[in-house]
Amino acid sequence: MSVSVLAKQLLDAVMFREIWNAMKVTFTHMFHRPITFQYPREERTIPDTHRGALALLRYDDGAERCVGCDLCEVACPSHCIKVVSTEDESLPLRRYASEFYIDITKCVFCGYCVEACPVNALAMTKMYEYSTHDKRTLLFDKKRLYEIGERFIEDAKKYLYAHNQEKNDQMFHDYRYFFPQSVLKPTQPLPPKHLT
Amino acid sequence: MALKPATNPDVEAATIELSLDGRIVTAKDGVSLYDVIASTGNIVPAMCYHYTFDPFGSCGVCLVMVEGKKAPVRSCTAKATAGMVVRTEGDDLFQARKKAVEKHLSVHPLDCPVCDADGHCELQDMAFQHQVTTLANAKQKLIPEDTRSLVLDFNMNRCIACGECINVCKDVLMIDALQFMKKDGFTQVVAKGDVALSCEFCGDCLAVCPVGAITNKYSKYLYKPWQLKKTTTTCNYCGDGCQMYIETKDNEVVRVTSPLSWKNKWGDRAETAKGHGGICVRGRFGFQYIDSKARLRQPLVRRDGNLVETPWLETIHTVVERLAAIKAQHGPEAIGGLITARCSNEELYLFQKFMRAAIGTNQLDSSARYGHLNFVHAVQHALGIGRMMNDWEDITKAKTILLVGTNITETNPLTAVRVKEAIRVYKSQVIVVDSAQTNIATLASHPMLVAPGTEGLFIQGLVKSVLEQDLVDEEATSKHPQAFTALKQAASRVPLDVIAAHTGVPVEQIHQAAAIFAEAPRAIILCGEGIVRRTGGYRHVLNLVDLAWITGKLGRPGCGVNTITEEPNEQGAADMGALPECFPGQARFDDAGAREKFEKAWGAALPAAGSGASLMEMLKRCRSGHIKALYVIGENPLATLPSSVGVRAALENLELLICQDPFLTETAQLAHIVLPACTYAEKDGTFTNLEGKVLRIRQTMDPIGESLPDWHIMTAIANGLGYELPYESAQDIQNEIMKLLPGYYNLGQPRKISPKPESYLANGYAAEVRNRYRSDLKRKPASGGTARRSFTLLMGQVLYHSGKLSTQASGLIKILPNTGRLHMNARDLEQMGLGEGARVRVTSPKGSLELGVQADLTVLPGSCFFPEHFNEPQVKDLMPVEVDADTGVPYFKLAEVTIEKL
Repeated sequence: MSVSVLAKQLLDAVMFREIWNAMKVTFTHMFHRPITFQYPREERTIPDTHRGALALLRYDDGAERCVGCDLCEVACPSHCIKVVSTEDESLPLRRYASEFYIDITKCVFCGYCVEACPVNALAMTKMYEYSTHDKRTLLFDKKRLYEIGERFIEDAKKYLYAHNQEKNDQMFHDYRYFFPQSVLKPTQPLPPKHLT
Repeated sequence: MALKPATNPDVEAATIELSLDGRIVTAKDGVSLYDVIASTGNIVPAMCYHYTFDPFGSCGVCLVMVEGKKAPVRSCTAKATAGMVVRTEGDDLFQARKKAVEKHLSVHPLDCPVCDADGHCELQDMAFQHQVTTLANAKQKLIPEDTRSLVLDFNMNRCIACGECINVCKDVLMIDALQFMKKDGFTQVVAKGDVALSCEFCGDCLAVCPVGAITNKYSKYLYKPWQLKKTTTTCNYCGDGCQMYIETKDNEVVRVTSPLSWKNKWGDRAETAKGHGGICVRGRFGFQYIDSKARLRQPLVRRDGNLVETPWLETIHTVVERLAAIKAQHGPEAIGGLITARCSNEELYLFQKFMRAAIGTNQLDSSARYGHLNFVHAVQHALGIGRMMNDWEDITKAKTILLVGTNITETNPLTAVRVKEAIRVYKSQVIVVDSAQTNIATLASHPMLVAPGTEGLFIQGLVKSVLEQDLVDEEATSKHPQAFTALKQAASRVPLDVIAAHTGVPVEQIHQAAAIFAEAPRAIILCGEGIVRRTGGYRHVLNLVDLAWITGKLGRPGCGVNTITEEPNEQGAADMGALPECFPGQARFDDAGAREKFEKAWGAALPAAGSGASLMEMLKRCRSGHIKALYVIGENPLATLPSSVGVRAALENLELLICQDPFLTETAQLAHIVLPACTYAEKDGTFTNLEGKVLRIRQTMDPIGESLPDWHIMTAIANGLGYELPYESAQDIQNEIMKLLPGYYNLGQPRKISPKPESYLANGYAAEVRNRYRSDLKRKPASGGTARRSFTLLMGQVLYHSGKLSTQASGLIKILPNTGRLHMNARDLEQMGLGEGARVRVTSPKGSLELGVQADLTVLPGSCFFPEHFNEPQVKDLMPVEVDADTGVPYFKLAEVTIEKL
């Protein structure tokens, strides 16, 4: 080792050069805009297409959209959905889901279930805060899913529009919203006599 | 359409040639063009076609081009003719078919997501196949759903008017419960007369519906077809042995479907002679007991008078200890066993091996004792064969069928469909001898209504009539002149007019029936519960053999004497030796060669030949205290036999009663130890059906609770007792049976058996026949008075139930609950001044009972009927019991009673 190198090392040690170097980085950041996101206090703006917690939706009149067709269950690649459907005794022909479970721990947030849903009863929201001490609460049941749907209805609607699942036009409204009754076409202006 | 030549065994149709897509194809003259195309393996789409009935031609999809015609023709309704040039493919045909599919789809609701048929829908498949994506003029029918029927919902919005349901009901099943009706501007399928559907509820309409227009109420909206696990198995309700699919989801039975379906619509019409693939109401709608809440889930052991849930290991220890103690103290003769014929062949085999080798007793019996053994012993004795001689195909193609004492539509619905096909397709003459106006009697060409209990006497009348009219087959009788003379002498003892007076059938009609039977080239005798379960059953079966012998029907192809069985494996119980008289393979228990063979195979000394006891004898020994322990598998003698037999006293007298059953039956409630057994849906094995076909049952789901298959429990007990059984599955037992009875597992193709009456007719026939021909009936006292009259009380099966098991199936109970009412003829009700539901007192020598009455069109005047499946009220206790001297079969289905208005 040469003398000059030794001298430089000695000088660095005496001058605390390493600390100066480090402090230089710190001090330059004092004049930057902060990058760290103050997460619990601040919230990020999330795009409409974001795939967050799943929600079940209702029609505007409060009726459940879900017809219990099990298609989401089939579409789900991680088998996290379970639907138990029955007939509504008071409304013959009306199929509905008496039980509906989504195991959100298994969910891979692919959004296939939303695509599969023929009545747009399922949607994804921007909600992602459901960490818990008890893993069992992550099996979302029907009640919880409707609660999410009610709280995040705006997110859910935006998700459906963003993914081209729903358009805000009359045809979609007629067809989707009164399933399984069908579209009343001009060829058939009024329901038949026996139904009125 | 005329009768297809392919289905007529007597007429050989001419062969024609036609050109299909440039290939020359040969076909039978008169066959539909669609069938010819399908027979080449080329599938033209069609929605209203099914091979089991004549083409209907409503869907308009099966279009083909025929040279010389401008427009495409429907191939199903077009007859194939010689020299036809046909094209089945091409873009024009594709477009024409697409148009037809669009036409159906434009009035079909697009509610696939909520439809039960979604994923199993022919219209969906067709729309996909023909790439229908847009519909120009869609409109909807908006018809409310018809939910009036008990088991089926009719959603006529989805109906495509293919008519398959109506055709299968009318043509194949001859029930004719459905029709088209123009209602609210649309053609709809409704029950005949537009009322709530009330039929046999076989559900074949549901099976053939290609869309979701007919849906099953019991499984509506519970599933999507792709979620279900489908297992092929054999039905365990009656002896027909129908193949069916149990469809389960997460260890729950969702529905039962049949091989008959719109999915397999292509087939040879002649093949339906072996069965059309449908199932009956019990099979299709009676599955709820499998995963019922009432199932036993844990072994129960009696402690301080109560049955307490106990772990398996402890229970088996208790069973083994107590059985070993009783055996050590009183010898193996203090132990007896009963098994139900709803167990598989393997279990029946293992049971008799367990009793004979592990315990060392021959006191064992099965529920075949209640009647089927009469037939088995009779034909074994006379002809050296132990089962019925004909199969379903023979029945279908018979020229004459003689049904004696059987309400076959209700007891064995699918064998009845064979008789119906014989009537409908093969135009056979059917003689029905029964004491009720049954469904098959209304369809038959020669219904003979006899007085209750005189079916056996009518057979004597037929034999006598054959002799008197000289319809005797010389070839058959001349070989055994001595026997023939003895028969003639014996038959001469009862004059024909006495028979006519007793049975209530005029002499001319008896002569006519005898002539029809004797002159037919293929004549089949089918006897049922009216023969084998009523007094003199054994003798009457032998009389039927006489009838077949003197008319030359024995050994002739397509002819024979047959019976029907009530439980799925009664034939198997006889074949597997679950009876004291026989070893497996129906070898006599006292036969030295057989004893040596089985002693060697089982490595154990067998009980002495004369020590065995059948059901009634065993109950007697229980009462006298000779039998200390009884092992009952699936049997319920307490609920089956009348109380006058003293079953309760017998069972209460026991030191140890072990009951092994899926349910806590009446007998099990008395037991000291109750072992939970699986039903047929939770285990593997085989059943032998009435034709002798060995049919597989397969495990469809995990056992409910901690229940175990019967063979598993028996193996555990035997191993505990020190008799090593190395079985790990039902297959191991099967392998052992295969070694001992080579050829028994016939893969559903039983060997044809030929009767050998020679030694029977040559030895001892004369002495025996003398006692068989007699009229042991007293004239019924004239039933005078209106307030109090004498009646004949019959107990029997009804269509919607089978044994006591079906009463655990909520679906069948919904169709037919226990009304607790006595079925009587409307005229009798009127004469006695009784209304529907009025109370009467029924008195028999065995006791008296108060119960309501209801009118029943099938019951004859002077008789009354109560279904044997229900014990509330205890009508069975009114029945006197008689035990057959030859076979030990208890008869308790008929009683003379007086009915008094209250």
